Amino acid sequence: MARQPQDKSADKSAANFKSDDSAIIRELAMLLDETSLTEIEIERAGLRVRVARNISVMASMPANFQSAAPVSAGTTASITPAAIADMAKHPGVVPSPMVGTAYWSPEPGAKPFIEVGSKVSAGQTLLIIEAMKTMNQIPSPRAGTVTQILIEDGQPVEFGEPLVIIE
Amino acid sequence: MFDKILIANRGEIALRVLRACKELGISTVAVHSTADADAMHVRLADESVCIGPPPSRDSYLNIPALLAACEITGADAVHPGYGFLSENARFAEILAEHNLHFIGPKAEHIRLMGDKIEAKKTARKLGIPVVPGSDGAVGPDDDAMALGKAIGFPVLVKAAAGGGGRGMKVAQTADDLMMALSTASNEAKSAFGDASVYLEKYLQKPRHIEIQVLGDGRGGAIHLGERDCSLQRRHQKVWEEGPSPVLTAAARAKIGATCAKAMQDMKYLGVGTIEFLYEDGEFYFIEMNTRIQVEHPVTEMITDIDLVLEQIRIAAGGDLPATQDEVALIGHAIECRINAENPQTFRPSPGKITQFHPPGGLGVRIDSAVYQGYVIPPYYDSLVGKLIVHGKTRGECLMRLRRALDEMVVDGIETTLPLFRALVREPGIIDGDYHIHWLEQYLAGQPADSKAT
Repeated sequence: MARQPQDKSADKSAANFKSDDSAIIRELAMLLDETSLTEIEIERAGLRVRVARNISVMASMPANFQSAAPVSAGTTASITPAAIADMAKHPGVVPSPMVGTAYWSPEPGAKPFIEVGSKVSAGQTLLIIEAMKTMNQIPSPRAGTVTQILIEDGQPVEFGEPLVIIE
Repeated sequence: MFDKILIANRGEIALRVLRACKELGISTVAVHSTADADAMHVRLADESVCIGPPPSRDSYLNIPALLAACEITGADAVHPGYGFLSENARFAEILAEHNLHFIGPKAEHIRLMGDKIEAKKTARKLGIPVVPGSDGAVGPDDDAMALGKAIGFPVLVKAAAGGGGRGMKVAQTADDLMMALSTASNEAKSAFGDASVYLEKYLQKPRHIEIQVLGDGRGGAIHLGERDCSLQRRHQKVWEEGPSPVLTAAARAKIGATCAKAMQDMKYLGVGTIEFLYEDGEFYFIEMNTRIQVEHPVTEMITDIDLVLEQIRIAAGGDLPATQDEVALIGHAIECRINAENPQTFRPSPGKITQFHPPGGLGVRIDSAVYQGYVIPPYYDSLVGKLIVHGKTRGECLMRLRRALDEMVVDGIETTLPLFRALVREPGIIDGDYHIHWLEQYLAGQPADSKAT
């Protein structure tokens, strides 16, 4: 997984967080640890964040948010989405065969190849991964139903990154 | 200066490059195969991208994946380390086509020195002494026997596309020549894709002495003294030291000046090493390596110049760190390459390192990416790490090395530490009286289960 930088403003190319959003979450997590509160929720323009002790950080915000691992005092690693890490072991996972940028649609503005609930056949195109101006269609390894789409439109992906779940 | 460097390598050299980037304030991208997801440099880098499955050709040699990783991370420069794509001129050119900087020499110089026949011709033109040999590849119409006799047996048959000690066969007498030629040629074809071979005089007991050079690409170049890498097994260096126990200051200044002048004339860019065989006071050029080398820390310890950092600075257009007069060689340094191998059979020993204690103290340096709990993958080279020791004199250095080797612990796998503990106590090593066949003769002479532990 292309990791987020640790404690500086987010790198544009790999970040899905905006830097001030992750800063808010860190601050709230620290507050939780410093006080004996079990839950803090704040809301401001376009963003509502709730941080609760020992539970995954939840937020409702614009579409390019990724759920993050539980934030606790002992965390030293950069925040890696635990949800995504678990998906790598899911029996229905389709991992990325290459490095590049993933797109849901054949071209901007067109309808996505699949959505949650789509029934797909083996070999059917699920999405496109672009690298160096060449578009690569990513085929489904099996027939089944798309139960989860794990990456956002335009997200950079690495080799082996879980893309979708087909069951 | 570069904003973000993608480190196109793994293991200890990737960590080494990462350290230099951090000291320069440059962001780092670690690319890795699935087998290296827990590598130390991956953990320390600002960003990481998994680029493929374990096999090198699908990951560390996978140029499209490396380019895509540059694209998605916004890296503006690539450091190739050593091995892998570090001397791949095409890779350097492809990066340039994509407006990415290759931290290394100009592609034309990589190509020139990569062809060992052309390299020798170039060296000769630049005034560097060469090993007597055939003037180019031995073609089907050439009278190989006459060439061999003119050179004088024994003769070495070498692959033009080889290098790094690979693709060589000895013909002791004229009777052996035709067989050596066909064997070497066939092996060269399958290993390097090029059957061309050339002949060189086989020196009996030479030392391997190499000169470190640094060029700014604009005609400025300096040398940073020599490393003596005579202790080799199957043409792989095992123990390197600098300065060489046998060179005088005058001899050093002379060969150093020759090399520096050659690099000035070439307008060479970056780090490089010119390798020689040295016998009876004469230097004979064998090849030039246009990359940072494994044993670069030996030079760093005696010159106090950070070669990887300078590589990056120079690639970004910077100046040389010193004039030739400002370069001083202080004290003595020895490096031991510790491999995950049985110290007698040299069988590879990948697996989990259950206990790791690196030695420390004044003048002791470990360049290693392993840690306690780390699992050495079976897919790549077996280098556990390099132990480099510095002392004010060679004697002090040897005592410090002995102490450091005795203190070092790597459990859970077999390593060649016992070999080094024995070598540091060997009279031939202590006297500095060895040559490029010394180590293999020593190993052959060892009783089957004797060694110091």
